[in-house]
Amino acid sequence: MVGLAGCVSFGGGEGSDDDGSGDGSGGDDGSEDGSGGDDGSGDGSGGDDGSDDGSDAPETISLGQPASLSGQWDFLQPGVSQATDAAVAHINEAGGPLDAELEVIRRDTAVDPQEARTVTTQLIENDGVPAIVGLFSSEINPLWDFLQDFEVPMVTPWPGSTFLDTRGGDKGTPEDLSDDEWIWRTVVGDTVHTSGSAVYALENDLDTLGVLNGTTEGERSYVEGFLSVYEDNGGTVAERVEVEIGGSSYQSALSRLFDAEFDAFLVSLPLESAITALSDWADAGYGRQPILSDPLAQQDLVDQVGSDIHGAWAGSPGQSGPSYDTFEEVYSGQGDAEINAWTPPAWDAMQVIALAIQRAGEATPEAIERNLGPVSRDGGTAVNNFAEGKEALENGEEISYQGAATPTNFTQHGNVFGSVTISTAGENGFEATSEVPAEDIREYVAEGEY
Amino acid sequence: MGLLQEAIFGVVTGSYIAIAAIGFTLIYGIVNMINFAYGEYLTLGAFVGFLAASAIPVPLPVAVVLAMIGGGVISIVLARGFFTPINHTGPVPMLLTSIGLGIAIRNAIRLFGGRSARYIETETTTFRFDGVPDVAIGSLDLLGGFFVTSEHLVVVGSAVAVFLAIHALLTRTDVGIAMRAMGDDESLARVRGIDTQLIRDSVWVLAGVLAGLAGVLMAIQTNVSSTTGFSHILQILSAAILGGAGSPYGAIIGAYVIGLALAISTAFLPSSMTGLSSAVAFAILIAVLLVKPSGIAGTEVREA
Repeated sequence: MVGLAGCVSFGGGEGSDDDGSGDGSGGDDGSEDGSGGDDGSGDGSGGDDGSDDGSDAPETISLGQPASLSGQWDFLQPGVSQATDAAVAHINEAGGPLDAELEVIRRDTAVDPQEARTVTTQLIENDGVPAIVGLFSSEINPLWDFLQDFEVPMVTPWPGSTFLDTRGGDKGTPEDLSDDEWIWRTVVGDTVHTSGSAVYALENDLDTLGVLNGTTEGERSYVEGFLSVYEDNGGTVAERVEVEIGGSSYQSALSRLFDAEFDAFLVSLPLESAITALSDWADAGYGRQPILSDPLAQQDLVDQVGSDIHGAWAGSPGQSGPSYDTFEEVYSGQGDAEINAWTPPAWDAMQVIALAIQRAGEATPEAIERNLGPVSRDGGTAVNNFAEGKEALENGEEISYQGAATPTNFTQHGNVFGSVTISTAGENGFEATSEVPAEDIREYVAEGEY
Repeated sequence: MGLLQEAIFGVVTGSYIAIAAIGFTLIYGIVNMINFAYGEYLTLGAFVGFLAASAIPVPLPVAVVLAMIGGGVISIVLARGFFTPINHTGPVPMLLTSIGLGIAIRNAIRLFGGRSARYIETETTTFRFDGVPDVAIGSLDLLGGFFVTSEHLVVVGSAVAVFLAIHALLTRTDVGIAMRAMGDDESLARVRGIDTQLIRDSVWVLAGVLAGLAGVLMAIQTNVSSTTGFSHILQILSAAILGGAGSPYGAIIGAYVIGLALAISTAFLPSSMTGLSSAVAFAILIAVLLVKPSGIAGTEVREA
């Protein structure tokens, strides 16, 4: 357990006229140390027994954001940063949680587990943030035990890994922290959208499949998720070929794959390797229906492979949560970064943390952890953003946040469900052509295993 | 697909590697250093080719020539800046310097060029030969229909042109003969009046030209990014060692052995092991070195 010193600046009076300059850098005098001294008996209503008696409102609440400002995924960060900043602006405009100014301390991890370990430690122990907004699968999975030891809630828009399907969340017991696993994700997991893609393939009579995938965990995980539903529901895999990423040619692998008979072939590779492989496929004229993993639904793929790729489709998490329009309006006023699949979930992550703080009446890790489930799950007044949620909470109502990416109805393992959008490649790039509703996918994901 | 088709894929892959491996092994044989930054020379050549083809823009063959010239200039500038001043320190400090230089260049490219991949626009034509009869031995088809693309022909043609040019250079020109003399015994070459620094500079330029060509050919097949060359440096190094470090002819043989091993192992390994084709290539490297430590061409391995 770590202390909270530094993240929450307390002062008399309203605190809402803070100019946002609070740096959360630990410049406190230590008088609020007791805020981290929760005895575990809190009732979720802000009744901590620390030195803060609840009458002191924090002036500034800082959240930590490990970010991919550099490294191989840095091209995704601008959208997530902009969504986070838009959420902060929106939340502060609505008065902020507990009438405090919300701010985010963003530090680069380059999606490197060792760097993530350092950054997370800095954010929690030096900056004293009560919650983290970020971390990728490739950071969370190897650091799982390390992250659990902090006992600080981490709400992340990034990870799709099946590793998190049964890990994380409050296990459906918000008040009991003993079984909590502290990781929550506001993005739909791979299990859901690979299931949606598999269902769509079977519905379109693509009963036999060839598979071309990379050897990294991400690519394998995607394929395993897809095949578990596909094969359980009557689909057959005729051939599967694994390749190393970054190759200068995939002709040998394709030659082997297309020696088999199948209706469609599933490609799960990083974008650059996929472009090389699918260009080789087009040159060789192998034909048949390509099914792509969701990161491959990119304009670059269509531009480089050419018209042969027209008709290829990918299933990706839908961006059609109930409050998507609200998000989009605020987001577009914040900058011009492109929206990607992780952008609306970043907005949702900020909203649920702010609402959890508001409901808790304090900004401690334990209080936030206890309230993430209650502000998001079914029951209570449906709210589309922090402003609505704050008003409802101040009126004594229970709330259920309706997110931008999904309804953000956290499962016991801290996961969310959502629809799957099928995007098909054509003259104008990838365009949404169909949708598999969340309800159709739920039946393929066993109860309690997501 | 038959074995013939797999062999074609292997020859194409081997051709990329061979062009770069000749440059790599010339540096090893004459400058007496393992240049781990050589992958970045390929990357820089690829970027020059990309910029020439897209920013100026010039026709692709002209872009290739500019990439070769650019590669040569970059190579001699880097050599003069980082390697020539420490020539006297021996191979190990130079090796370590090259590792550091490679990291610095790779990150500088990434910093200024961004991480995103760029693509050189090309039109590819596929030539099919479906009428070739099957010649089966058990389940293995030795011939059968096959195809080649215009990119394949360009890569293999470029490699053959490079081989002929290198052979002519080493056997028919004073500079080439001086290179071979230096490779055998630098002190003796100096005693015989050879300007060894000039020859070293010539080798750096030649290796850079070959890196530029290999880099832009890889870029045409795949893309241009900060890791274009780095992702192939192990294959290049392996080809040079397998063939006999310091021997251009050995590097050519080594490159094709690795290219064919990659292609054929992908085709014939069990399904669950196809991702291990590179491991098979390196296993062959280890096996050859255990039997013949000097490599296939038998050139003496110099002390490091």
